[in-house]
Amino acid sequence: MDLVLQLLFTGIGIGAVYALVALGFVLIFRATNVVNFAQGEFSMVAAYLMVVFSVDLGWPYWLSFLIALGGMALLGVIFNLGVYYPLRHRTFLPVIIATIGASILLSNSVLAIYGPQPQVLQGWFDTPGIQLGPVYLDSQYLLIIAVTIALVFFNYWFFEKTLLGKKLQATSQDKEMASLLGISVSTMIMITFIYSAVLGGLAGILVAPVLFVSIQMGSTIALKAFAATIIGGFGDVAGAIIGGLALGVIETFGAAYISVPYKDGFAFLVLVAFLIFRPQGIFGERVAEKA
Amino acid sequence: MKLTRRDFAAGIVAGLAAPHIVTSARAQGATIKIGMCAPVTGPAAESGRYAIQGAKLALEAVNKAGGILGKQAELIIEDDQTTNPGIVLAFSKLAAQSDIVGFLGSIRSTQVHAMAPDVLKLGKPVMIGGTDPNLTHMGNPWLFRFRPNDSYSGRVIAEYGVNTLGKKKWAVLHSTDAFGTAGGKALTAALEKLGSPPVLDQGYANQSQDFTPVVLAIKQSGADILGSYFTFENDLGIFARQLRQLGVNIPWVGSPSIVNITALKLAGPALYNTYGVADYAEDSSEASKAFGKLYRDAVKVAPDNQSSWPYDAVTVLSAAINKAGSTDPAKIREAILSIKKFPGAEGEYNFDQNGDGLHGYNIVKNDKGKIVFDKHIEFND
Repeated sequence: MDLVLQLLFTGIGIGAVYALVALGFVLIFRATNVVNFAQGEFSMVAAYLMVVFSVDLGWPYWLSFLIALGGMALLGVIFNLGVYYPLRHRTFLPVIIATIGASILLSNSVLAIYGPQPQVLQGWFDTPGIQLGPVYLDSQYLLIIAVTIALVFFNYWFFEKTLLGKKLQATSQDKEMASLLGISVSTMIMITFIYSAVLGGLAGILVAPVLFVSIQMGSTIALKAFAATIIGGFGDVAGAIIGGLALGVIETFGAAYISVPYKDGFAFLVLVAFLIFRPQGIFGERVAEKA
Repeated sequence: MKLTRRDFAAGIVAGLAAPHIVTSARAQGATIKIGMCAPVTGPAAESGRYAIQGAKLALEAVNKAGGILGKQAELIIEDDQTTNPGIVLAFSKLAAQSDIVGFLGSIRSTQVHAMAPDVLKLGKPVMIGGTDPNLTHMGNPWLFRFRPNDSYSGRVIAEYGVNTLGKKKWAVLHSTDAFGTAGGKALTAALEKLGSPPVLDQGYANQSQDFTPVVLAIKQSGADILGSYFTFENDLGIFARQLRQLGVNIPWVGSPSIVNITALKLAGPALYNTYGVADYAEDSSEASKAFGKLYRDAVKVAPDNQSSWPYDAVTVLSAAINKAGSTDPAKIREAILSIKKFPGAEGEYNFDQNGDGLHGYNIVKNDKGKIVFDKHIEFND
């Protein structure tokens, strides 16, 4: 039982990381109908920004955190103007290729500046974790889980209860109709990119103390987050969260009880099963409507 | 001045002949040239810089001592881009220069495998740092190794854990890539030979974000010592932290990555009191200490195996050419293979007929973040 509880905690913790990145995928997909393959690099860039401000310059953690998120918002603007906006009237394919190009550019730019060696970023808390009976709770994972839960409520409130959220939803559902109603579609898409970049950055900063800061950190998480998005139902915020958590728990238990080397295999086995038997994902109705 | 037909013809002839005369003069050589393939760009550019510094330091020392065959030695560097096609291209550029008498290849076995057919075709000696045992056992007489091969690291880990630390219940943890699998197999085989087969043989995939299942498996196995082969430092860092967080504090003897500077930085106190095998340990011999001081003074960073093996390679190659008294490849080969009890930065070189110069490893301990030499274990077979 102790083993199960420990695995459950770790599975939920790592799943929450996937969920945070998956949220960014979903938001951009809903707004633009394309998958942003640079979403993982948003996480990586934010983690490196934290290293610059918090470690290299020695600025307070909270200030570095705010500056890093501000930097991500700026990156969201640049990304929208430089990658999405010029191709907005083209089919989805050129946009996807442009996001892949941007992802390569981002990772190689950071590689050129910082070199290939991984960096260390301290966590938010001084205490690495707490022992609760037989289960060790890593403080950083606890924070990640707490932020994920908070974001579920925040997203619900934002998209369902605020005018801006409703405008964003309207834009994602039908751009022409939203435009006819006086909503500035390009502004809404810009806001979506900013929000997604900040969310991706938040995931990167939160996970960096656990996985270290490296060039590959974004792509490794993004691949799982992408799978989580498909499992949850592409285009659904709740689906991204549930998909991420499910993936984390499945791969952790699969590794413990079946095979460690095939840990990644379990995640993608579930993905294949979903693609065959329920391609629209757990919460897939909206995707079906869009299609 | 009037230009006659004869003057014109003489001018043409001189113009055509001049480059050839210069090239031929150069080939006969003001200097002796050594070619080096090194990662100047790509993911290993940082360690490539260390390798070049190591080779240059050795070259300076050789030149100060009178050079090679009475001439000054010169290093010609080509960028291998840290890739297999890159090193093949770099080596072909160097091989095209007929006045290069010997070469330095890569520390990465996969790159040495990629260039090996061209090395065989060229038929000139190439010094390597790759540790895949097969490299010197596949019928290529021109490869000479300046680091102990992987078959020795497994034996040294087992020998130290069983006979020095007195531990019999082993958990063996290794990456499932080519390096980790070969290392894990070598360690398991050595443990079986010592009568302590592992109670847990656990592989993991590179770039794992979480090692909780692995740590719990080690805990449940009842192992009293851990032997490991990690390929990437970030995997090692994540594992080390989780191992300590989940309360596993058994002795741990790891492959060279456990004492790598990056791993020490990432894992911090989680690696305190662990042991590692290291081909270069600064305090292991007088020659290692001397290299360490020379390197620190010149480069201002701590020396490691990235720089020590090229240092030894240039030193040994130069000594062999001087011993052979000729730049004839076959004679250089014979001279390298005859080198015995040669004190190098990496250890004492005793070349066998396969081209392996070193046959043992150092055991070092992580003493609160400082790497301290413990003992050297040497094998005669």
